Amino acid sequence: MALVQQPAGPAASTAAVPPVPPAPAGRRRRRVPAARQGRENLTAYLMIAPMVILLSIFVAWPLAYSVYLSTFKISFYQEPEFVGLDFYGYVLESAGFWHSIVVGLYYALLTVPTIMALSLLLATFIKSLSKRAAAFMKTTVYLPAVMSTVVTSVLFVFMYQDEGVANWLLGLLSQGPVNWLNDPHLALPAIAIPGIWLGFGISTLIMLAGLLDIPDSYYEQAQIDGAGWFTQLRHITIPLLKNVLLYLFVTGFTLAIQMLDLPLIMTGGGPVEATNTPNLYIFDSFRDLTPYATSFSLTAALLLFAVIGAISMVVFRLVRSDKAVDG
Amino acid sequence: MRKGYRTWIAASSAVLAASLALTGCGSGGEQKTADGRTVVTFWQQKFEDYQQAWFKKQVDTFNTNQTKIKVDLQVVPADTWPQKLKAAQAAGKAPDIATTNYGNIPAAVANGELAELDGLLPTEAFDDIKDNVRSFVTINGKHYAYPMLVEPSTVLYYRTDLAEAAGLDPAKPPASWAELDTWAAKLTQGKVKGMTIASAAPDLGWSSWGLQYNACGHLPVADDWSKSVATEPCFERLLGLYKGLYQGGYMPKQPKVGYADGTPYGQGEVAMMAGGSWVVGQLKNEFPKMIEKTAVAPFPSVDGDPSRTTATLGGWTLTVDAKSKAKQDAAEFVAWLLAGEPAIMADFFKASGFSKYTVRTSVDEALASNADASADPFMKIISERVVPNGKAEPAYPWDISLAFGTAIESAMKGGSDAPAALRKADAAINDVIKKQSLAGTAPTR
Repeated sequence: MALVQQPAGPAASTAAVPPVPPAPAGRRRRRVPAARQGRENLTAYLMIAPMVILLSIFVAWPLAYSVYLSTFKISFYQEPEFVGLDFYGYVLESAGFWHSIVVGLYYALLTVPTIMALSLLLATFIKSLSKRAAAFMKTTVYLPAVMSTVVTSVLFVFMYQDEGVANWLLGLLSQGPVNWLNDPHLALPAIAIPGIWLGFGISTLIMLAGLLDIPDSYYEQAQIDGAGWFTQLRHITIPLLKNVLLYLFVTGFTLAIQMLDLPLIMTGGGPVEATNTPNLYIFDSFRDLTPYATSFSLTAALLLFAVIGAISMVVFRLVRSDKAVDG
Repeated sequence: MRKGYRTWIAASSAVLAASLALTGCGSGGEQKTADGRTVVTFWQQKFEDYQQAWFKKQVDTFNTNQTKIKVDLQVVPADTWPQKLKAAQAAGKAPDIATTNYGNIPAAVANGELAELDGLLPTEAFDDIKDNVRSFVTINGKHYAYPMLVEPSTVLYYRTDLAEAAGLDPAKPPASWAELDTWAAKLTQGKVKGMTIASAAPDLGWSSWGLQYNACGHLPVADDWSKSVATEPCFERLLGLYKGLYQGGYMPKQPKVGYADGTPYGQGEVAMMAGGSWVVGQLKNEFPKMIEKTAVAPFPSVDGDPSRTTATLGGWTLTVDAKSKAKQDAAEFVAWLLAGEPAIMADFFKASGFSKYTVRTSVDEALASNADASADPFMKIISERVVPNGKAEPAYPWDISLAFGTAIESAMKGGSDAPAALRKADAAINDVIKKQSLAGTAPTR
């Protein structure tokens, strides 16, 4: 049952575009005068100049300069010592760095799919509500997004205490107390819960916006054809939300793997490095006052940038984004 | 096309010039007040509240009586200190004077961060420093810091009333690790745990130094820093001590505060506490009712031998930045505050509730006439039975201490058994030694 026109692949796209007839021999396109073209170019350059300049100053130049600095053992008091790519080797050999990447990936795995699934369910539910109830729900689900991460961390630390709410609830079931933040196996999932709570509000609203863009006629047609909720989800909602889902997945993933605040405040990276996310690992390396630590943390940050970039590229390759198809 | 190319060249040059202007480091100039006094910046790491009040009072007094120097005191929280200091150093704006702990002095000297104080302070100022502390601030015979105090990192605090109630004799506190375990078990009653001690790697990294000496007679690194010795079996006993207390349920599994904070003991949540001598000051200031029910003792020793080290002597100094443009003025303030009139530092130790210990002979003499100091039972025990066996904090990079702290934490929380945890620490320490080229660089003091 093809309910929705499937997006065309690259080959189909090429075939679908009407071929441009070749210019008849001897007939030339009217030439734009060089002076006018130059003015137009200059206008275009001027319009993009502010962004190019800002990006150059705040992104390109610092990045290039960081790569240059990473080839030195940096000292603020002595002549920096050129060491070539030594620090890249040190970081790549470091068990701590790779462990932190694994922790970051695990945290992303715990939070991103959960946030997306919760958001999809909630957005679908809100869409089905009356205007007034939907407005109330939208405000409610967005509230966690405006909470400070620091405040949330502290609140959850209290909730996870031996005498906290989490253990009190377990006590009602004659279970616990559980050592939430000091057990190497539980600490990261325990931190992921406030992470999910903080993240699902904004995802729900974005997903709701995407859902509202899907014409109701598709669902009406599907219902006439006898499609149930799950079939509609599979064949209408998810394909038409593909770009929204891809956006939420990639941004959610890059934010999750770079999580710093929650483990910094709630566990300090422990117990036994179980919550030592990449940024926390780099931050702690930087806090060490030796010249070695300065260069090491800089190089580790550059390599983290490369790792996140590479993973994002793989995601984009696996899930191609398409233009919206609205029938 | 050529014009477009030229436009791009011009635009790129402008961007590069703007970037260079923005990222260029400006070196800090010598600042003067409106009345011509030299401004000396002083960063004080945030300690107990009474210390902030004391530093402010002294700086105000100094500034009031000065015509050529004005000290600008800034209090910096401990958790932001390293990144703030590093950022300031990178920008050439490091403070002229900073609080520096003993352990950080050798690395800072090796990196050229500290000004040599010989010549900036009078010779007699250094003669006044006690012999056992002089080496803490000396590298290759030169002084790079002026010491302020020492404070043993590990002392045993215990509730006499709860000990009696549990059938234990408060006059005979535990002397060995085995006895400590027994006391902790007997004192764990209801919601009150028998003991609290560090349980997170960053706290264990430094608070266990004294007990590392106690277990093996040395730290887990060879004296010349050439290799790790963390896998020596004696360290397994140390990991066993922590593991027994944690897994036996005798200590809080989710402590609300770090090792340095004695609040759980002050609030009656635990019956015994391993803590630094500074906790005496906290108890006197914040939990005065707990004082009469508290006794202190040297932390138990692995085999009960009271002469073995149980604590490192940590503490703070004032250092002058090597790039300071007002070194002499900065040194003048340091000399006035720490090496000048003994009454100034005697006032500090009084404010601390005698929870910290002087490093100067003349201040000792000034305190001898102070009835409160000589009558303080905590001070007597700590100064007579803990400090004499104390050792200096290690000077090697923090990564080594953290690796060993992680091993203890891993054994406590069931991540690995003691030998496996120590093997992992051993590998991590050897990695630090190799990458930071530490072999043979142990400082000569």
